[in-house]
Amino acid sequence: MAHQAHPYHMVDPSPWPLTGAVAALLMTSGLAIWFHFHSTILMLLGTVLLVLTICQWWRDVVREGTFQGHHTPPAQKGLRYGMILFITSEVLFFAGFFWAFYHSSLAPTPELGGFWPPAGITPLDPFEVPLLNTAVLLASGVTVTWAHHSIMEGDRKQAIHSLTLTILLGGYFTFLQALEYYEAPFTIADGVYGATFFVATGFHGLHVIIGSTFLAVCLHRQIRHHFTSTHHFGFEAAAWYWHFVDVVWLFLYISIYWWGS
Amino acid sequence: MYYKFSGFTQKLTGSAPMAAYCPQGLRPGVPAESPTMIFGTPTKVVSEASPTVEYMGANRVQEFQRIFQASDSVPVHLKRGVPDRLLYRTTMALTVGGALYCMVALYMAAQPRNK
Repeated sequence: MAHQAHPYHMVDPSPWPLTGAVAALLMTSGLAIWFHFHSTILMLLGTVLLVLTICQWWRDVVREGTFQGHHTPPAQKGLRYGMILFITSEVLFFAGFFWAFYHSSLAPTPELGGFWPPAGITPLDPFEVPLLNTAVLLASGVTVTWAHHSIMEGDRKQAIHSLTLTILLGGYFTFLQALEYYEAPFTIADGVYGATFFVATGFHGLHVIIGSTFLAVCLHRQIRHHFTSTHHFGFEAAAWYWHFVDVVWLFLYISIYWWGS
Repeated sequence: MYYKFSGFTQKLTGSAPMAAYCPQGLRPGVPAESPTMIFGTPTKVVSEASPTVEYMGANRVQEFQRIFQASDSVPVHLKRGVPDRLLYRTTMALTVGGALYCMVALYMAAQPRNK
């Protein structure tokens, strides 16, 4: 490697921004073609290209950080700010859905019957599966902290076990949510109740799946000895993201499932 | 000569080997003292021979660090050789082919429908 007299990461030229942009073009055009002509070819092509791009892009980030040593302390600081800003934008994304929910439920219109839940809606019992889901996510918050402390103490075996447990709990949550969706007595087409319920909990479910994938990548990297006791920002970012998903669920549970029923 | 990043001056400064930045941590160099000789150690069976077997696979990070830090001016996305090139070319072919197909599909979608 060439000698450099500064701690910043000068990245190599990369094709991934280009392939990612074309993937976005193919997916948006593909959706339009799908809606108008019932052909999913372009949409599928865009999805495959997007998956290929993200896998190779993040593979390169791992190479740069773990194998090439580019993630010096000042570079890690930049990654931290980036992750904090990303999660902040996600908080605002969910704030919009909560706004829609409270806007509709705090002053229900006459069309809804003037009360909440609206006339004709039988909401889910918050003390059945949703309460179990809350316990599952809180438990996964404990196991992810256990994993973090294991990594910091260099306890490889416990880190692998606790991380595996976290991912399994994430999978169990997703399974229970799928079951709830299947058994729900209302649909997304059932007025503003169905719309706010399924959009808010659906985007949360998507985030749980993304967070579980992020943690699964961390487990793979932990098994391959990528994390040391002092340098494991990839894992910390995944843990931050997981806690964010956890907190969003608590707000969803209290607002939509409990108060909203 | 080892370097570390100084938080005070915000520049690289010289440092002792142990304080230098290394993402995988530094292994201590050659030990100063030779280990004491042990005579008459009984022969160990294979299962006992390597007590340092790692849980779920050995650490190959240093091997990969050698591969990816080689000074060959190859960009990071192609540094691993043939598998990298195959994946890159597949992705690039899909990008170019997909973009062309997309243009054709959008052009056809823009034409008025024959009644």
